[in-house]
This record gives sequence, C-alpha cells and structure tokens, in this order.
Amino acid sequence: MAVQDAIPAPQAVEDTAGTVRRKRILRHAGIFLTLILMWEFGSRIGWLDPLFYPRPSNIMRSFWLIYFQNGNVWYHLYATMSLVFLGWIGGSILGIGLGSLVGFNSVLRRFLKPYVIVLEATPRIAVAPLLIAALGFGASSKIAIIVLVCFFAPFINTLSGVMNVDEDRLELFRSMRASKMQVLRKLVLPDAVPIIMAGERLALTAALSGALVAEFIQRDEGIGSLILVYTRNLNMASAFACIFTLTILGFLIFKGMEKIDFYVAFWKYEGGRERVSAKRRAAMEGPDHA
Amino acid sequence: MPDPTIAQSSTHDIVVSGQGVGKTFADGSVIALQDAHFNIKRGSFVSLVGPSGCGKSTLLRLISGLIPPTSGEIAVHGTPVTGPRADISMMFQKATLLDWRTAIENVLLPTEINGTPTKADKNRAFDLLKLVGLEDFAFSFPAQLSGGMQQRVALARLLQTGADILLLDEPFGALDEFTREHLNMELMRIVQEVGATAFFVTHNIAEAIFLADQVVVMTSRPGRMAKIVDVDLERPRPLSIQTSVEFNKLVEDVRETLGEM
Amino acid sequence: MHNKNSPATFWVFEFIFRVLPHLVLFAVLIWLWELAVATGFITSIIIPRPSKIGGAIVELYITKGTIYRHFFITLTEAVVGFLIGATIAISLAVSSSLSETFKRYVIPYAIVLNVTPGIALTPVIIAWFGYGMGSKIALAAIISFFPIFVNTLTGLVQVDEDREELFQSLGATNYQVFRKFRVPAALPLMFAGLKIGLTTALIGAVVAEFAQATDGVGVLMSRFSFQLNMAASLATLMSMTTIGLILFYTMEFLDDRIVFWRRENRRAAASRARARAWKNQL
Repeated sequence: MAVQDAIPAPQAVEDTAGTVRRKRILRHAGIFLTLILMWEFGSRIGWLDPLFYPRPSNIMRSFWLIYFQNGNVWYHLYATMSLVFLGWIGGSILGIGLGSLVGFNSVLRRFLKPYVIVLEATPRIAVAPLLIAALGFGASSKIAIIVLVCFFAPFINTLSGVMNVDEDRLELFRSMRASKMQVLRKLVLPDAVPIIMAGERLALTAALSGALVAEFIQRDEGIGSLILVYTRNLNMASAFACIFTLTILGFLIFKGMEKIDFYVAFWKYEGGRERVSAKRRAAMEGPDHA
Repeated sequence: MPDPTIAQSSTHDIVVSGQGVGKTFADGSVIALQDAHFNIKRGSFVSLVGPSGCGKSTLLRLISGLIPPTSGEIAVHGTPVTGPRADISMMFQKATLLDWRTAIENVLLPTEINGTPTKADKNRAFDLLKLVGLEDFAFSFPAQLSGGMQQRVALARLLQTGADILLLDEPFGALDEFTREHLNMELMRIVQEVGATAFFVTHNIAEAIFLADQVVVMTSRPGRMAKIVDVDLERPRPLSIQTSVEFNKLVEDVRETLGEM
Repeated sequence: MHNKNSPATFWVFEFIFRVLPHLVLFAVLIWLWELAVATGFITSIIIPRPSKIGGAIVELYITKGTIYRHFFITLTEAVVGFLIGATIAISLAVSSSLSETFKRYVIPYAIVLNVTPGIALTPVIIAWFGYGMGSKIALAAIISFFPIFVNTLTGLVQVDEDREELFQSLGATNYQVFRKFRVPAALPLMFAGLKIGLTTALIGAVVAEFAQATDGVGVLMSRFSFQLNMAASLATLMSMTTIGLILFYTMEFLDDRIVFWRRENRRAAASRARARAWKNQL
C-alpha cells in the first residue's frame, strides 16, 4: 500500500466531519418524523384521545388557519409582544437603576437587605391579581405585572456586577488617580456588562411568562388569551398551534439575545474578539499613520 | 538601627527618601513595617528582598501613596507623598489588564485617565509595545495573550506615563524562569535607557542582587530594613555575572543578614 | 467597650446592633404608610392601610384561621410537583451523562421544552388534569424540570481532567468513577438547579391556581383581589412569602449539609465527625 493511501488527504477528513453532522441531523429528523407519524396513526385508529393528543395533521391545519386563512394570530402576537417589550424595558431600567444605586451605597444595601430577601422568596407573579384589581383591566395592569415580574433578575445581577469588581483592578485605577466617574465609566460599567446581559436574558423570559399570566386572568387579547379560549372550546389543535408559536418565539428570543450578547460582551467570544480587534486596528491606524 | 544610605555625597540627587517610616494594621496589632530609613539617588535600581511578612510590599505601597504610613514620612522629589501621584508609576504581580480593551488600549489607560490621548501618546504606546516585543499584538485582547505577554503589556503601561519613579512588586513572579530572565534583562535595559529610578520587590536573593545597585534586605516579625547592600558590579550586567566571586559574596552577605534575624 | 463576659450580654448587644435598626426602620415605614393613607395622600383602594392589613392578618391567621388549609395545599402542590420534576430531571440527566447516544436524542427535546414558556401550557394542563391539585402539581413539575435537568447534566458532564487522571491511575471502574468522582463533583451545580427548580415549582403551582382552583393561597389571593379586599389579599401574600422562605431555607439547609465542603464551618464539623467515626472503627 502506498504511503499516500495511508494518510488521508485533508479534504477527505473535512468531508467526513460534514457528512457526520448531516447524518446526525437526518437521524434526528427521522426519529422526529417517526414519532409524529406514530402519533398521527395512533390518533386515527382511536388509540390516542384527541383531547390529550391532538392529531398532528390537525395541528398543522390549525397553523394554516391561524396564520394564513384567518390570520388572527398575528394581531394577538403583536398585542402580547408589544407589552412584553414595554414591560421588559421598564423592568430593566428599574432593575438596573436600583441595582446600581444599591450597589454603590452600603448603607442602603444594609437596610434594604431584609426586604430584598423577602421579595426574592415571594413569587412576584402572585401579585398579578392584586395589580389587575387595583389598576383595572387593560394594558396598564398588564405592563405593571410584567415590570414587576422581570425587574428582579436585572436588579440582582446589576447589584452583583457593581459590587464584585476585581479588587486589583480597583487598586490599579486608584494608583492612576482616577476619579470616581472614571472608575465607573471605564471599569465598573464594562466589567458588569456580561452579568447584566445575563440578567436581561432572564428578564425577557420572565416578561413573556408574566404577559401570559396577565392574559390568562384578563382574557382579553394576546397569545395567552388565545390559548385559553381555544382550550376552553376544546380546540386542542389550535391551542397547540399557539403553544408551538411560542416555542418558535422563545427560540427566536433565545437566538436574538445570544446575538446581542455577542456584540455587547464581545470580549467573551473568540469571534467577537477578532472582529473588534480588526475594527480597533483600522480605527487607530486609519486616519493617523505613524 | 539600619544605616541611612547616601550613595553619593550630593544630596540634591536624592529622589526618594523616608524617615522613620512605619505601618501597622488592625489597630496596631500587626506591625507590617517598622522604622524604615532610606535615601535613594536618582537613577538607582533598588531591590527589596526578604521573606514573607518582612514588609517589602508594604514599603512599596507606602512609597506609591496607595496606603498612608502610620508613622514617619516619605518624600519623592522633595515633596511628601500623600497619595498616588503622577511622577510615580506602579506595576503589580498580576498584570490586571482590562479584558474588554486591546493591548494598546490597556497601555493607553493611564494617559486616558489624565486627559484625552494625543497622537503622540498613541505613538508612544505603540513604541512601548515594540520595546517589549509586542508590536504584532497591539490590537489583541488579554484573553488572546499568554501570562508573560500580559505582563509585558503591563510593563509597557507602567512606562507610558513617563514617570521617573517605577515601583514593581514581584512583577514576573508568576512567570516561568526563561520568560522571567528575559524580562528582567529587558527591564534593566529600559530603566537604564529612560534614566528612571526603580524599586523592585522580590523574594529571590540572586534576582535581587543581579538587577540592583542597592539591595535593601528586610527581615520579618516585625518587618524592618535590616541592611542596605551596595552592588558595585558592572553595568550592563551580563547573565554570566551570577557565577562570579563578587556576586556570590554578595549573596552570602544577604543570606547572612536574613539568617541572623 | 462592651462587657462581653456572659453569652447573654453578647446576644443582647448583637440584637441591638444588628436587628434593632431594621425593626425601627420597618416600624417607621409602616407608620408613614398608615399616615399617608389616613390623610388621603394615597387612595386606599389601591393601597390599603397597614392597620386594615393587620386586621386581615389577625382574622385570617388567628381568629378564623382560614389560611392554614390553603397554605398547606399550595405548599404541597409546589413540593410534590418539584419532587416529580426533580426525579425525572435527575434521572434523565444521569442517563444522558452515562450514554452519549441517549444524551444526543434527549437534548433537542429538552431544548424545545426550555425555550417554550412553561406557563403557556397552563390551560392545556388544566384541561388534561382537571381542576384539583393534580393540575397544579403537573404544571409545577413541568416548569421545574428544565433548570434541574440542565444544571445536573452540566455538573455531571463537566470534567476535571486532573481528577479524572487520578482516578484512572488508581484503576477505578467506570461505576466507581461515576459514584465517587462525578456525582460529588456535580452536587454544587445540581443543588443550584434544585434551588431554581423549587422556586419555579411554586410559581407553577400559583399560576395554575389562578387559572382554575378552589383551594390554595393563589386562589385566595385572587378571590380577595377581585372582591377588592386588598387588605386580605396582602395578608395572604404574606403566606406566599412564608412558603417561599420555607422552601428557600430548606434548600439552603440541604445544600449546606450535603455539599458540605464549600462552607468552612461545615467542613470543620464534617472533619470532626469523620475523625470520630475513624476512631470508633479502630
């Protein structure tokens, strides 16, 4: 056997890696399809109760109905998501603002500690009926609920980020006679960015849940209301179509936040580092050539 | 009481001096440093060597202005030290670079804090990175640099302000022997070139003698300056000098001083 | 300085310095609140008077004692749901860590479960499990599943290469490696996941109660709120907080006991216990 045969050409190895991945995806897809088909079959021959296991074909039909034929889901999606984003932004501002305030003030921290512990132990969502009763049905109580539900993670994370700045770095800044504002802008803030981003991710997820709960109680509009109505009418197929819509939405949110994190906390990612590195080089070497 | 050292007769050459300097912690129960006297001439390279707890790092921090003395006074360029100042620059054992800044931006940090960096500042930063051999990594992030490279960036940052009093607290202690040796040689060369006065803390006797013009031998419990040993060896110092008779006599001297206490 | 001769004196001073300022602040806040509502500064519809809340507390907890039944129902729903979710999550995580193929097939479905807001399933769960405690437990189980699963799996799969080499050099079998090395190493992360899971289980139970229930603290709160009896609603909220605190501190206690090596005083205590056991064996 010639030496060339023993050592595979680099090209061949790459193909193998690609093929393995493709095979794997096909296998997953295959298993998934089999499950779906079994489900469909079981439903048709009456093994699976349509109440519990709406037929996949019906679910797909519902998708068609709510998205295209009736197109009713779009409005409800918009209704829910607009409130989610408003509440998320409000909750973030509240959380980050309070978190920074408390983080920089040890007296405030000491006195707020018991209240924070109590607040943490209480499921914030529990206050939803109270807020609805107090503020009335409508968007304002929904947003209030969302803000309440999603402010805690940014608060705790900002607090942690602000308080846990590396001692050595603080000393470095002190040795350079940096002012408090400079320490804040050049050290504390960038340092806290990754952990605040993590808090924001949690907040957005919580905001969506908060919106759904508010809609369950108010039952006026939004995806949550839609799910509730469909279920009450035992239209499980459409209910599931809505739930899977939320799955897609959740996935998009997940990927979206990942992308944002990649840009904002770029130094944690190798690709991010390279990208910004090139950018900074161009900026510095561009207009002024040494 | 240790001898006050006046290395040359002309006193206006003294850039750093300390009289009766002491530092205690925890309401007096921990005596980190006791009764230190020193007068250091411009352009000297001073090593501080001793076991843990002898107060060498404390003394460095006192000179830098990061902590105030509990007794005595330290003067730099004739004025008393009351806090960190522009004519003193310090380097620590950890590089402490900011992860979100490139190497050159880390070097420019002290300049940024004192105003907006000019084109001249940026060129200087780049030249300093060239000096420490990192011009190809000017736009790399700390995460992309090895420990030795990070310390080199920290060294460039130390020199960026142009301060003529340089304080280094075991800067290369965490690095492997080869990198450490190389950086020590570079450090000596740079300090010589720039004409700065350097204070270098280490627990390695040979390193202390090799680098310095004067070795301050410190002992612990309580921390104090036991002796100041003059190192009259040739400059620039070749590595080979560490095998010479004079060098080893100095090592003996220092060891004895440390052993006595 | 203080006379710390007797332990009693010490605790008194501890109390004065640590706890008293908080109590004083709390009392002042309550008083200001009462004042604000009494003078009409804040409308009492939205924010009830502290005195009224106090009255509701007395009624619910002492006079009529209606709250205790609901308290235990919600607590049970949360705990049982958590236990079910945790059992399934840990089993799947353990299986996934032991078998690469199993993990590969479970992970996509776990991810789908994760990105879907579990709360969205509430109406469906109620349709499936009915109006009783079953649906609350089911929702709690489903919602608490993912954090426990992902944390336990991460904990089991993380590899400390040095320790792994050590075990291999000692000739350990795969089972031994798993039991003595991976499991203890995974415990801190697992407990972090369990803490999150317990919190989410409570949320699941409460949300399910909002949607449809007759008993439970969530229902009580909901009912009082819509009767515009805000004082009673807030008094009930206190129960909710208590449940949360009980769950939290139980988890903290277990964490402290089981993952003992992280806490200094627990390490010392465990050391002593082991030393004693050793001596008894000799």
